[in-house]
Amino acid sequence: MSSFVIEAVGLSKSFGSTHALAGVDLSVRTGESLAVMGASGSGKTTLLHCLAGITRPGAGTVGFLSGAGRVVVTGLSERERSRLRREAFGFVFQQGFLIPELTAVENVALALMLNGMPRARAEEHGRGWLVALGLAGMEDRRIGQLSGGQAQRVAIARAQVTGASVVFADEPTGSLDSATSADVMQALLDSTTGQGRTLVVVTHDAEVAARCSRIVDVRDGRIVGERVPA
Amino acid sequence: MIARVAWLLARPGSAGAAASVLPVTAFGIVTALLLTVIGGAQTFWTWTDDDGVLYQALAVIALVLLVVPLVSLGGAAAGLSARRRDDGLATLRLLGATPAMVAALAVIESAVLALVGAVAGVAVYLAGVPLLGLIAFRGEALGASGVLLPWPALVVVPFAIGALAAVSAVLGLRQVVISPLGVRTRQEAPRLHWVRVVVGLAVVALAFGVMSVLRVAPSAMVFLGMLALAFGGSLAVLNLIGPWVIRLIASGQAKRAKTPARLIAARTVLESPKGAWRQVGGVAMTSFMAVFAGAGVAALEAFGTAGDAESELLMADIRTGILITVVGSFLMVACSVGVKQAAGILDRGDLYRSLDMLGMPVGTMDAARRRAVMSPLRITAIGSALTAAVVMLPLTGVTLIVAPASLVVIAGVLAAGIGIVWLGLLATRPVLARAASTAG
Repeated sequence: MSSFVIEAVGLSKSFGSTHALAGVDLSVRTGESLAVMGASGSGKTTLLHCLAGITRPGAGTVGFLSGAGRVVVTGLSERERSRLRREAFGFVFQQGFLIPELTAVENVALALMLNGMPRARAEEHGRGWLVALGLAGMEDRRIGQLSGGQAQRVAIARAQVTGASVVFADEPTGSLDSATSADVMQALLDSTTGQGRTLVVVTHDAEVAARCSRIVDVRDGRIVGERVPA
Repeated sequence: MIARVAWLLARPGSAGAAASVLPVTAFGIVTALLLTVIGGAQTFWTWTDDDGVLYQALAVIALVLLVVPLVSLGGAAAGLSARRRDDGLATLRLLGATPAMVAALAVIESAVLALVGAVAGVAVYLAGVPLLGLIAFRGEALGASGVLLPWPALVVVPFAIGALAAVSAVLGLRQVVISPLGVRTRQEAPRLHWVRVVVGLAVVALAFGVMSVLRVAPSAMVFLGMLALAFGGSLAVLNLIGPWVIRLIASGQAKRAKTPARLIAARTVLESPKGAWRQVGGVAMTSFMAVFAGAGVAALEAFGTAGDAESELLMADIRTGILITVVGSFLMVACSVGVKQAAGILDRGDLYRSLDMLGMPVGTMDAARRRAVMSPLRITAIGSALTAAVVMLPLTGVTLIVAPASLVVIAGVLAAGIGIVWLGLLATRPVLARAASTAG
């Protein structure tokens, strides 16, 4: 049985005449933290979107090894991919993209409620995650009342609360200062690989990438190198 | 230079053609409705007999009731037009464009879109003139020639709409000019004080008292003054306590919400109860008026006060007027809601896209925003109707017994109005689906 949680073969994607991905092969091991590095426009975010089933590639396949067996993500309908993202994956974005009207715990619980969990239980789970991520006492604050680093921890809790086996993070520390960035990255690693889950991080920050277990470099839509941080 | 940049910015952006089509459509509807209302009412001023004065007074009341949602709709259309290019204009500020240049671009673009929409609105009005002419008052149809406005009005109104859009664009873009980054922070949700309710209840009780002693008014002037006091006072109360009631109910809904859509909707309303009220406030006046006048007319008819043919005609005309005002008001609120929703979707495009990435179905996002409008709308329409029923209590009670069908008709018209707003919301679902779409 494969130990790869995600396997992508021959991924290509074009937007008009721009080739964002040009034949990418990439395997992500279960429990590893993988950093995808590259300059702006190198195709790293498109790669993340294809791996996570957000975008359908023009060519190639993405396989995901779930508890129920291997799923060909690229063969799923839009609705099925949406469900897969909701149930099996977690996401952390650069700007957080939390719902500003909701409180911290409601933002986290929402991910569980979307999967049908009753609100009271969902909020209980959410509170547990927020406390674990150092946000005890801030559960009922609205997002505007939190600092950037605190809001990003809420986003990490939201990505994790469903028990997602893979968390995709797109420049998760891009809007933070270096000290907060280090804290948030540590929280992200502790809550994912620290618990046997898999983390795929897209970043152009060498310091963030250096904290992952493996780095792949992307340029012009191709993987041009792979290394293990010192 | 400014004209060239304006032309570049006029090309469809990431929000697609909808970002241009929506404000044009909204301004078209505003213009068509404005011309229809003025065109329909102008006939009344050709009547010079005693009854003619009464019709003119009633027309003024109807126009005042329609002006509130019309202004709200005009503002919403202008806001949407201005906001659709916020990003581009903010970028221009970052690139070094002066505040004056950004303001000029906003004015040019909004005014041009408004003018295009207004010209289309004139065409819609002209196409509708034969139908409008079929509406009968004083026993005969108004006639196409009666409701057709003179050509200077048809020229002036589009330019006035364009000017309104330009002013609104400048006001709306003040934030961009002040801060090129357009940073917006949200802190604690505003709270409204319960004292509003105490004052409101006191005024409703006073209005009820005034209406109870209406029959002992020593003169017609005092009678009209008392009526205006009860009517105006109650309407003022609605504006005073409306946001408070909306917040109170949304607060309960937020606590009880069991689904994501209900939770997000309730929290959205709580974010700005005043904003939720402003969006549907026009309906409050209309609902109040529909019950206030409708119950009065029904009771008068039932007791045979309107014995002669002329009086019966007047009662029938008042009923027609109420119906037109209620439908017109709801139509404008529906357009206003649709336009504001479209603007809100464009504003929160990144958030909707991120929620789609997280796997939230578009249906859930749609249900949340629909509920955030429909819940305050229902509270407003029903609350206002009930307030009018309380103020008119002896009369509404009597009407309920002697002419229940009239109240059923009023309730039916209000329900249809709520349905029109729901359709307005439905029309913006494609905008949401497009904004949220991340699928490649």
